[in-house]
Amino acid sequence: MPSIVPAFAWLEGLAWTTALRESPFGYPLIETSHVACIVVFAGLVIMMDLRLVGLAFTHAPLAQIQRRLFPWQMATFVPSTATGILLFCVDPLRYYRNVLFLAKLVFLALAGLNALAFHLKTYRRVEGWDEDPQVTAIARLAGVASLLLWSLTIVSSRLIPNNWFK
Amino acid sequence: MLLPFFQWCDGLAISQAYRDSTYLFPLTQALHLLAVTVFVGAIVIGDLRLLGWGPVGQSRASITRSAGSILLWAGLAVVLTGIPQFTTNALTYHRSWLFVFKMYLLAAALLFTVTVRQRVAGAAEGRLPSWVPKAVGAVSLALWIGVTISGRLITYYG
Repeated sequence: MPSIVPAFAWLEGLAWTTALRESPFGYPLIETSHVACIVVFAGLVIMMDLRLVGLAFTHAPLAQIQRRLFPWQMATFVPSTATGILLFCVDPLRYYRNVLFLAKLVFLALAGLNALAFHLKTYRRVEGWDEDPQVTAIARLAGVASLLLWSLTIVSSRLIPNNWFK
Repeated sequence: MLLPFFQWCDGLAISQAYRDSTYLFPLTQALHLLAVTVFVGAIVIGDLRLLGWGPVGQSRASITRSAGSILLWAGLAVVLTGIPQFTTNALTYHRSWLFVFKMYLLAAALLFTVTVRQRVAGAAEGRLPSWVPKAVGAVSLALWIGVTISGRLITYYG
Protein backbone atom coordinates (compact mmCIF):
# COMPACT_ATOMS: atom_id res chain seq x y z
CA MET A 1 0.00 0.00 0.00
CA PRO A 2 1.48 3.40 -0.95
CA SER A 3 2.44 5.56 2.00
CA ILE A 4 1.03 9.04 2.50
CA VAL A 5 4.23 10.18 4.24
CA PRO A 6 5.96 11.44 1.04
CA ALA A 7 2.94 13.62 0.27
CA PHE A 8 3.04 15.10 3.77
CA ALA A 9 6.82 15.59 3.50
CA TRP A 10 6.27 17.44 0.21
CA LEU A 11 3.57 19.60 1.84
CA GLU A 12 5.82 20.36 4.78
CA GLY A 13 8.65 21.35 2.45
CA LEU A 14 6.69 23.91 0.42
CA ALA A 15 7.93 27.48 0.62
CA TRP A 16 4.75 28.91 2.17
CA THR A 17 4.32 26.17 4.80
CA THR A 18 8.00 26.53 5.75
CA ALA A 19 7.63 30.31 5.95
CA LEU A 20 4.57 30.01 8.21
CA ARG A 21 6.26 27.41 10.42
CA GLU A 22 9.40 29.48 10.87
CA SER A 23 7.69 32.85 11.23
CA PRO A 24 7.43 34.17 14.81
CA PHE A 25 3.86 35.28 14.05
CA GLY A 26 2.49 32.91 11.38
CA TYR A 27 1.78 29.77 13.39
CA PRO A 28 0.84 31.52 16.69
CA LEU A 29 -1.65 33.83 14.99
CA ILE A 30 -3.27 31.07 12.93
CA GLU A 31 -3.49 28.83 16.00
CA THR A 32 -4.95 31.60 18.15
CA SER A 33 -7.56 32.41 15.46
CA HIS A 34 -8.37 28.68 15.28
CA VAL A 35 -8.89 28.47 19.04
CA ALA A 36 -10.98 31.69 19.17
CA CYS A 37 -13.25 30.50 16.34
CA ILE A 38 -13.66 27.00 17.76
CA VAL A 39 -14.45 28.36 21.23
CA VAL A 40 -17.26 30.56 19.88
CA PHE A 41 -18.51 27.84 17.50
CA ALA A 42 -18.50 25.03 20.07
CA GLY A 43 -19.83 27.40 22.73
CA LEU A 44 -22.89 28.17 20.61
CA VAL A 45 -23.34 24.49 19.73
CA ILE A 46 -23.26 23.68 23.46
CA MET A 47 -25.89 26.38 24.14
CA MET A 48 -28.10 24.76 21.50
CA ASP A 49 -27.45 21.32 23.03
CA LEU A 50 -28.34 22.56 26.52
CA ARG A 51 -31.67 23.71 25.07
CA LEU A 52 -32.12 20.33 23.36
CA VAL A 53 -31.62 18.42 26.61
CA GLY A 54 -33.88 20.88 28.45
CA LEU A 55 -31.25 22.36 30.78
CA ALA A 56 -31.32 25.98 29.57
CA PHE A 57 -33.38 28.48 27.56
CA THR A 58 -36.43 26.25 28.09
CA HIS A 59 -38.82 29.19 27.69
CA ALA A 60 -37.63 29.63 24.08
CA PRO A 61 -39.02 27.33 21.35
CA LEU A 62 -36.34 24.88 20.18
CA ALA A 63 -36.86 25.71 16.52
CA GLN A 64 -36.31 29.41 17.16
CA ILE A 65 -33.08 28.91 19.09
CA GLN A 66 -31.85 26.51 16.39
CA ARG A 67 -32.74 28.85 13.53
CA ARG A 68 -31.21 31.96 15.09
CA LEU A 69 -27.96 30.34 16.22
CA PHE A 70 -27.24 28.27 13.12
CA PRO A 71 -25.85 31.13 10.93
CA TRP A 72 -23.47 32.14 13.74
CA GLN A 73 -22.37 28.57 14.25
CA MET A 74 -21.57 28.36 10.53
CA ALA A 75 -19.89 31.79 10.52
CA THR A 76 -17.39 30.50 13.09
CA PHE A 77 -17.19 26.90 11.87
CA VAL A 78 -15.91 27.91 8.41
CA PRO A 79 -12.91 29.98 9.65
CA SER A 80 -12.13 27.41 12.36
CA THR A 81 -12.01 24.68 9.70
CA ALA A 82 -9.93 26.84 7.35
CA THR A 83 -7.39 27.70 10.06
CA GLY A 84 -7.38 24.07 11.22
CA ILE A 85 -6.48 22.88 7.70
CA LEU A 86 -3.79 25.56 7.53
CA LEU A 87 -2.31 24.40 10.85
CA PHE A 88 -2.17 20.84 9.58
CA CYS A 89 -0.48 21.93 6.32
CA VAL A 90 2.20 23.79 8.27
CA ASP A 91 3.24 20.72 10.26
CA PRO A 92 1.65 17.63 8.66
CA LEU A 93 4.21 15.03 9.74
CA ARG A 94 3.90 16.03 13.40
CA TYR A 95 0.09 15.83 13.36
CA TYR A 96 -0.08 12.70 11.22
CA ARG A 97 1.74 10.68 13.89
CA ASN A 98 -0.12 12.19 16.84
CA VAL A 99 -2.75 9.86 18.34
CA LEU A 100 -4.53 12.71 20.13
CA PHE A 101 -4.84 14.61 16.83
CA LEU A 102 -6.35 11.50 15.23
CA ALA A 103 -8.68 11.11 18.23
CA LYS A 104 -9.79 14.74 17.75
CA LEU A 105 -10.58 14.05 14.09
CA VAL A 106 -12.64 10.98 15.04
CA PHE A 107 -14.65 12.93 17.67
CA LEU A 108 -15.11 15.78 15.19
CA ALA A 109 -16.38 13.41 12.50
CA LEU A 110 -18.76 11.72 14.95
CA ALA A 111 -20.05 15.10 16.16
CA GLY A 112 -20.61 16.13 12.53
CA LEU A 113 -22.43 12.87 11.72
CA ASN A 114 -24.60 13.24 14.82
CA ALA A 115 -25.55 16.79 13.79
CA LEU A 116 -26.24 15.68 10.21
CA ALA A 117 -28.39 12.71 11.26
CA PHE A 118 -30.31 14.92 13.68
CA HIS A 119 -31.03 17.53 11.03
CA LEU A 120 -32.03 15.00 8.36
CA LYS A 121 -34.23 13.00 10.74
CA THR A 122 -35.99 15.74 12.61
CA TYR A 123 -35.62 19.02 10.74
CA ARG A 124 -38.74 18.45 8.63
CA ARG A 125 -40.73 18.32 11.87
CA VAL A 126 -38.92 21.29 13.34
CA GLU A 127 -42.10 23.15 14.23
CA GLY A 128 -43.33 20.22 16.30
CA TRP A 129 -40.19 19.92 18.38
CA ASP A 130 -41.78 21.41 21.44
CA GLU A 131 -45.06 19.47 21.26
CA ASP A 132 -44.21 16.01 19.90
CA PRO A 133 -42.83 13.86 22.77
CA GLN A 134 -41.17 11.42 20.36
CA VAL A 135 -39.28 14.21 18.59
CA THR A 136 -38.37 15.71 21.95
CA ALA A 137 -36.88 12.37 23.04
CA ILE A 138 -34.78 12.11 19.85
CA ALA A 139 -33.72 15.72 20.26
CA ARG A 140 -32.60 15.03 23.84
CA LEU A 141 -30.59 12.00 22.79
CA ALA A 142 -28.91 13.97 19.98
CA GLY A 143 -28.22 16.79 22.44
CA VAL A 144 -26.52 14.48 24.95
CA ALA A 145 -24.43 12.86 22.19
CA SER A 146 -23.47 16.28 20.83
CA LEU A 147 -22.48 17.62 24.27
CA LEU A 148 -20.29 14.58 24.86
CA LEU A 149 -18.67 14.59 21.40
CA TRP A 150 -17.93 18.34 21.33
CA SER A 151 -16.49 18.17 24.85
CA LEU A 152 -14.21 15.32 23.78
CA THR A 153 -13.22 17.28 20.65
CA ILE A 154 -12.24 20.32 22.72
CA VAL A 155 -10.37 18.28 25.34
CA SER A 156 -8.45 16.20 22.78
CA SER A 157 -7.60 19.39 20.81
CA ARG A 158 -5.94 20.92 23.84
CA LEU A 159 -4.02 17.73 24.56
CA ILE A 160 -2.48 17.48 21.05
CA PRO A 161 0.81 19.27 21.94
CA ASN A 162 1.53 16.58 24.57
CA ASN A 163 1.56 13.62 22.16
CA TRP A 164 1.50 11.05 24.99
CA PHE A 165 1.08 7.97 22.78
CA LYS A 166 4.17 7.98 20.56
CA MET B 1 5.39 44.61 44.59
CA LEU B 2 3.46 41.38 44.13
CA LEU B 3 6.57 39.22 43.82
CA PRO B 4 6.26 37.65 47.32
CA PHE B 5 2.70 36.53 46.47
CA PHE B 6 3.85 34.98 43.18
CA GLN B 7 6.73 33.25 45.01
CA TRP B 8 4.31 31.92 47.62
CA CYS B 9 2.06 30.53 44.83
CA ASP B 10 5.06 28.91 43.17
CA GLY B 11 6.04 27.20 46.43
CA LEU B 12 2.63 25.68 47.18
CA ALA B 13 2.40 21.88 47.42
CA ILE B 14 -0.21 21.84 44.65
CA SER B 15 2.16 23.74 42.33
CA GLN B 16 4.88 21.17 42.97
CA ALA B 17 2.45 18.29 42.44
CA TYR B 18 1.44 19.80 39.09
CA ARG B 19 5.08 20.26 38.07
CA ASP B 20 5.91 16.65 39.03
CA SER B 21 3.00 15.08 37.15
CA THR B 22 3.03 14.37 33.42
CA TYR B 23 -0.74 14.39 33.11
CA LEU B 24 -2.17 16.78 35.70
CA PHE B 25 -1.23 20.08 34.02
CA PRO B 26 -2.29 19.17 30.44
CA LEU B 27 -5.57 17.66 31.65
CA THR B 28 -6.33 20.77 33.71
CA GLN B 29 -5.51 22.93 30.65
CA ALA B 30 -7.92 20.86 28.56
CA LEU B 31 -10.73 21.14 31.13
CA HIS B 32 -10.02 24.87 31.42
CA LEU B 33 -10.51 25.26 27.66
CA LEU B 34 -13.77 23.29 27.86
CA ALA B 35 -15.03 25.51 30.69
CA VAL B 36 -13.97 28.63 28.75
CA THR B 37 -15.88 27.34 25.70
CA VAL B 38 -19.12 26.91 27.69
CA PHE B 39 -18.61 30.31 29.37
CA VAL B 40 -17.99 32.09 26.05
CA GLY B 41 -21.00 30.32 24.51
CA ALA B 42 -23.24 31.68 27.29
CA ILE B 43 -21.77 35.18 26.83
CA VAL B 44 -22.09 35.13 23.04
CA ILE B 45 -25.74 33.99 22.98
CA GLY B 46 -26.60 36.92 25.27
CA ASP B 47 -24.50 39.38 23.28
CA LEU B 48 -26.05 38.25 19.99
CA ARG B 49 -29.47 38.88 21.51
CA LEU B 50 -28.36 42.34 22.66
CA LEU B 51 -27.10 43.04 19.15
CA GLY B 52 -30.48 41.98 17.77
CA TRP B 53 -28.98 38.98 15.93
CA GLY B 54 -29.68 36.17 18.38
CA PRO B 55 -32.99 34.57 19.42
CA VAL B 56 -34.99 37.81 18.99
CA GLY B 57 -38.30 36.04 19.67
CA GLN B 58 -37.29 36.04 23.34
CA SER B 59 -36.71 39.10 25.48
CA ARG B 60 -33.14 40.17 26.22
CA ALA B 61 -33.82 39.64 29.91
CA SER B 62 -35.03 36.06 29.54
CA ILE B 63 -32.07 34.99 27.35
CA THR B 64 -29.45 36.57 29.62
CA ARG B 65 -31.21 35.26 32.76
CA SER B 66 -31.14 31.70 31.42
CA ALA B 67 -27.52 32.11 30.31
CA GLY B 68 -26.70 33.49 33.77
CA SER B 69 -26.75 30.14 35.56
CA ILE B 70 -24.52 28.63 32.84
CA LEU B 71 -22.14 31.57 33.27
CA LEU B 72 -22.01 30.95 36.99
CA TRP B 73 -21.19 27.23 36.78
CA ALA B 74 -18.84 27.54 33.82
CA GLY B 75 -17.16 30.55 35.46
CA LEU B 76 -16.59 28.50 38.60
CA ALA B 77 -15.02 25.72 36.50
CA VAL B 78 -12.83 28.30 34.69
CA VAL B 79 -11.55 29.63 38.03
CA LEU B 80 -11.01 26.18 39.57
CA THR B 81 -9.02 24.97 36.56
CA GLY B 82 -7.26 28.31 36.11
CA ILE B 83 -5.86 28.62 39.66
CA PRO B 84 -3.53 25.57 39.59
CA GLN B 85 -2.28 26.61 36.14
CA PHE B 86 -1.48 30.03 37.55
CA THR B 87 0.23 28.84 40.74
CA THR B 88 2.32 26.24 38.86
CA ASN B 89 3.76 28.92 36.58
CA ALA B 90 3.42 31.90 38.91
CA LEU B 91 7.01 33.10 38.48
CA THR B 92 6.74 32.95 34.69
CA TYR B 93 3.46 34.87 34.78
CA HIS B 94 5.01 37.47 37.03
CA ARG B 95 7.28 38.47 34.14
CA SER B 96 4.60 38.16 31.44
CA TRP B 97 3.15 41.44 30.16
CA LEU B 98 0.50 39.45 28.24
CA PHE B 99 -0.65 37.75 31.43
CA VAL B 100 -0.97 41.16 33.14
CA PHE B 101 -2.85 42.47 30.09
CA LYS B 102 -5.20 39.46 30.15
CA MET B 103 -5.92 39.97 33.86
CA TYR B 104 -6.76 43.67 33.34
CA LEU B 105 -8.97 42.77 30.38
CA LEU B 106 -10.63 40.01 32.42
CA ALA B 107 -11.31 42.43 35.28
CA ALA B 108 -12.80 44.95 32.83
CA ALA B 109 -14.94 42.27 31.16
CA LEU B 110 -16.23 40.96 34.51
CA LEU B 111 -17.00 44.43 35.79
CA PHE B 112 -18.76 45.38 32.56
CA THR B 113 -20.79 42.14 32.58
CA VAL B 114 -22.08 42.43 36.15
CA THR B 115 -22.83 46.15 35.91
CA VAL B 116 -23.64 47.72 32.52
CA ARG B 117 -24.50 44.55 30.60
CA GLN B 118 -26.72 43.12 33.31
CA ARG B 119 -28.55 46.44 33.72
CA VAL B 120 -29.13 46.90 30.00
CA ALA B 121 -30.13 43.26 29.44
CA GLY B 122 -32.62 43.46 32.29
CA ALA B 123 -34.19 46.73 31.15
CA ALA B 124 -37.70 46.54 29.71
CA GLU B 125 -37.79 46.26 25.91
CA GLY B 126 -38.23 49.67 24.29
CA ARG B 127 -37.17 51.58 27.40
CA LEU B 128 -33.69 52.28 26.04
CA PRO B 129 -32.73 53.71 22.64
CA SER B 130 -32.11 50.80 20.27
CA TRP B 131 -28.39 51.59 19.91
CA VAL B 132 -27.71 51.09 23.64
CA PRO B 133 -28.17 47.29 23.86
CA LYS B 134 -26.37 46.95 20.52
CA ALA B 135 -23.37 48.93 21.77
CA VAL B 136 -23.33 46.97 25.05
CA GLY B 137 -23.45 43.65 23.17
CA ALA B 138 -20.60 44.73 20.89
CA VAL B 139 -18.39 45.91 23.79
CA SER B 140 -19.08 42.73 25.78
CA LEU B 141 -18.27 40.54 22.77
CA ALA B 142 -15.02 42.44 22.12
CA LEU B 143 -13.96 42.23 25.77
CA TRP B 144 -14.56 38.48 26.17
CA ILE B 145 -13.07 37.55 22.79
CA GLY B 146 -10.10 39.74 23.77
CA VAL B 147 -9.70 37.79 27.02
CA THR B 148 -9.81 34.47 25.11
CA ILE B 149 -7.28 35.62 22.50
CA SER B 150 -4.84 37.16 24.96
CA GLY B 151 -5.04 34.02 27.13
CA ARG B 152 -4.05 31.89 24.17
CA LEU B 153 -1.24 34.23 23.08
CA ILE B 154 0.47 33.92 26.49
CA THR B 155 1.70 30.47 25.34
CA TYR B 156 3.67 32.11 22.50
CA TYR B 157 4.60 35.57 23.65
CA GLY B 158 4.13 35.47 27.43
